[in-house]
Amino acid sequence: MNAPGTTAPPLLQLRGISRRFPGVLALDNVDFDVRPGEVHALVGENGAGKSTLINILAGVHQPSAGNVEINGRPIDLPTPLSAQHAGISVIFQEFNLLPTLSVAENVFINREPTKGARIDWPAMYRRTTEVLALLDVDLDPRVEVRDLPVAQQQLVEIAKALSFKASLIVMDEPTAALSEREVERLLKLVRTLADGGVSVLYVSHKLTEVFAIADRITVLRDGRHVLTENRSNLNERQVISAMVGRELIYTTCPERRPGEVVFRVRSLRLPGSPAAVSLDLRAGEVLGLAGLMGSGSTDVMLALFGLQPVDAGEVTLNGSAIAINGPQTAIRAGVGFVPDDRKKAGVLPDLSVMHNVTVGILDRVRTGFWIDRRKERAVIDDYGQKLNIRYSSPNQMVSGLSGGNQQKVILARALAENCRVLLLCEPTRGVDVGAKAEIYTLIDRLVEAGIAVLLQSSELPEIIRLANRCIVFAGGRPVGELAGAALTQPAVMELATGLGRDETRVKAPAAAAPGDSGNGEEAGG
Amino acid sequence: MTGVRKFLQTYAIGLIVLVVAVVLSLMTPHFFRVENLLNVMTNAAVVAIVGAGMTLAIASGNFDLSVGSTAAFAGCVSMSVVPTAGVAAGIVAGLLTGALVGLANGLIITELRVPAFIATLGMLEIVRGLALIYTQGRDIYLYGQTEYKVLSGGHIFGIPMPVLIAVGLAGLIALVVAQTRFGRHVLAIGNSLPAARRSGVRTSLVLWGVFVIVGMTAALSGMVISAQVLTANGRLATGLELSAIAVVVVGGTALSGGRASLVGTLLGALLVAVINNGLNLLNVPIFYQELTVGILLVVALALSVDRSFNPFTQLRRQQ
Repeated sequence: MNAPGTTAPPLLQLRGISRRFPGVLALDNVDFDVRPGEVHALVGENGAGKSTLINILAGVHQPSAGNVEINGRPIDLPTPLSAQHAGISVIFQEFNLLPTLSVAENVFINREPTKGARIDWPAMYRRTTEVLALLDVDLDPRVEVRDLPVAQQQLVEIAKALSFKASLIVMDEPTAALSEREVERLLKLVRTLADGGVSVLYVSHKLTEVFAIADRITVLRDGRHVLTENRSNLNERQVISAMVGRELIYTTCPERRPGEVVFRVRSLRLPGSPAAVSLDLRAGEVLGLAGLMGSGSTDVMLALFGLQPVDAGEVTLNGSAIAINGPQTAIRAGVGFVPDDRKKAGVLPDLSVMHNVTVGILDRVRTGFWIDRRKERAVIDDYGQKLNIRYSSPNQMVSGLSGGNQQKVILARALAENCRVLLLCEPTRGVDVGAKAEIYTLIDRLVEAGIAVLLQSSELPEIIRLANRCIVFAGGRPVGELAGAALTQPAVMELATGLGRDETRVKAPAAAAPGDSGNGEEAGG
Repeated sequence: MTGVRKFLQTYAIGLIVLVVAVVLSLMTPHFFRVENLLNVMTNAAVVAIVGAGMTLAIASGNFDLSVGSTAAFAGCVSMSVVPTAGVAAGIVAGLLTGALVGLANGLIITELRVPAFIATLGMLEIVRGLALIYTQGRDIYLYGQTEYKVLSGGHIFGIPMPVLIAVGLAGLIALVVAQTRFGRHVLAIGNSLPAARRSGVRTSLVLWGVFVIVGMTAALSGMVISAQVLTANGRLATGLELSAIAVVVVGGTALSGGRASLVGTLLGALLVAVINNGLNLLNVPIFYQELTVGILLVVALALSVDRSFNPFTQLRRQQ
C-alpha cells in the first residue's frame, strides 16, 4: 500500500553471499535487496541463516563469498565500527546497552560531545532529547538504562541508531520480550521510521507482525534464499510453507476428552495481587492461562511450582492436599514444570542429554549408592524415542542441540519425574516453526494419555491451538474464562486488554491508557 | 587448530609434567632420585588434598577462599587435643573443625545470600582470627607424641602417607562426582543454579555438603602440614587458598563451574611441585618460583576450555 516506488534503486544489495563455518554452510549464495524507506521482513526457521546474515551486516562475520553493496557500491564490513560508518545499525535481541550508564551516555557512547577535554553534558542531554523526540518518546536522558523496562531500552537502541544517521536499521526479533501493547507501539514506530526514509530489515518469526508491517518479505531456508515478494502478493500459509518447505497442519485445538478433576486450586492469593485464583484442571485437558505481560498469569504458574511465595490458598492433587513450598515438594507430589527461560532456568548446558533428563530422578537409577549407567541409559532411550529427541549420542552435550530439541529434553525431564500435572510456561519460546508443530503434537499425545496440562503462553495462536479452555488474566486477576467455540483470539484479547470492562480499566490504568512511558511498572512482573 | 588445542587441553598437564621431569633429570643428577621424587610428591600432596575439595567447590560454580585459615585452625585444634585425648581424637577434632567452618560457609552463602567470594573472604579473616585467638598467638608443640607424625611421615609400601591421602581422596571425590546423585547434583548446580532448582535438586543442601567437604579437606591439609614439623600455629598455611585454586585451574577445571577434573588437580599439584623442586635443585632464587607458578597459571588459562568469565571471550563468541 504505502510501499515505496518499485523502481527506486536498492539501498542494500546482497549478491551471492555465502558463509561457511567449519562443517556448515550457513549461507549459500543469497541474493536480495532492501529499498530506501522500505520495511523489509526477513523470516526463516532457526538455523535458516538469519543470524549469520545479520552478523555479516553488523560487521561481526565476513562473507566467505559474495558482496554487500550499499547504494550500488560494494563495501567491506570487517568490523562493527565499519558497519556503523556504512550507515547500518543492528539492534540485536540482546541489546548492546551499558546498563549502569544513562540513556544519553548510551546514545552517544564513543561520540560524546565535548568541550575541550571534558564531556559537554548539557549538549549531550539536549541532543538526546532531540533524538528521542523524533521517536515521539518522552524519556529522561539522565536515567540509568538498567532502570528502564525492556521496551524502553529498545527505544534507546533505536534512538542510538537514529543518532548515527543510520540509513538501514536491522532489528533482530525485536518483539521477543515485549507485551502486545508494546509490540503495537513498536510497529507504529517502525512505520514512522520507514516513512521518514530509513530502511528497516525486520527479522522475526512472528508472522502476524511481519504481515502487519512489512512492505516486502524475504524467506530463507537452510541458508538459501527462497523468495522475496511484496507482502500484498503473499498470505501466511504461503510464507510458512516457504519457511518449512511443507504445509503446516491444523491451527485449532483437536478434540479433548477431559476426565476427572485431578488438580484443584482454591483461593490462591499471591502477595500484592488484587484477587485470589481458583481453578480446576481435569486429566486429559489443556487449560490455558492467557494475559498480557504483567497480567499475573506467569506468577500463578511460578507459585504453583513453589517458586514464588504465596499468602494463602489450597492445592489438591487427586483429592489430597499438597503443600507447595518449593520445587522438590511440587515434583514429589506429581507436578512437572517447564520454565519459560530455557537458557537460564532450563538446560544444564555442559551436561549430556542423558544427564539432563535424569537429573531429577537419580534415586530411581541407582543401585545402592552408585548411579547405574544402564538404568540411566534405559531412561534416555525411552524418552528420547517417545519424544523424538534428535541427538547423536546420549552423551552429547545438551548445548549442541537445537532449541526445539533442548525443549524436548526439558519436557522429558519433567515427564521422567512422573508428573501427572504439567505446568508449561511458554513451551515453544525461541523454537522454530517445524519444532513448534512437533512440540504441539507431543503435547497432544501427552494429554491423550491422561496428563493434565496448565499452559501459560503469551502467544495467542498457541493457546488457541492447544487449550480447550482458557482463563484470561488482566491486572493481576482472572477476568474471564473461555471454552470451546468461544475461545478465539479476539475474545481473549478483548478480556486481556480490559475492553468493555470498566472495573479492569480502573484497576490497571497503565494497561488501559494509551501512549507513553507510563507502563514501566508493569513490565517487571 | 581446534583439534590441536583440544588435544593439548586434554593431555597437556600430563605431558608437561613428563617433559619438565625429563628436562630436570638431564639438568641435575639430584632430581631423579627416589628420595627427591617422594619429597616432590609429598609437597604436591599437601596442596592436592585441599585441591581435591576445591575442585568440587569450583565444579559447583563457587570457590572457597577460607581454606588456608581453616587448615591452620584445624591443625591447631587437632594438635591441642592430642596430648589429652590421643591421636585419633585429635584427627577427628581437626576434621570436625573443618566441617563446621565449611558448614558456616555454606549457610552464609545459601541463607544470608552472600556470594561465595565475599562469604569465604570474610571467613578467611574470621577463621584466621579464631586460630590466633585459640593459640594466643603461640606455637603448639607435640613433644613426644610422635604417633601424630603418621599423617605426614607414615609409609605404605614406601609411599608417603600424604600422597596416599591425596590420591585416595581425589579418587573418592572423582567417584562421587561421576557416580552419585550428590556429585551429579553438584555439576547440575555448577551448570545453572535455577535450572537445577527447577529440576528438583535441593540446592542448599547440596551446597552445604560441598562446603563441608572442602572444609574437611582443608583441615586434612592443615593436619598434614602440622604433623610434618609436629608444630602448629595460627599463621600456618597462609596463602594455601590461592595455591589450591591455582592447581585446580592448572589442572583444567574451568572456573565457570559444571565440570570437575580430579586427575587434573592431582597433576596440576604435581606440576607446581616439580617446578618448584627443580628450581630449588638448580639453585634458582626462591623469588623465581613465584614468578614461574604465575606464568604457569596464565598459560594454563590461555589454553583452558572455558574462559567465559573473561569478557573478551564473550566478545569474540557473540554471533
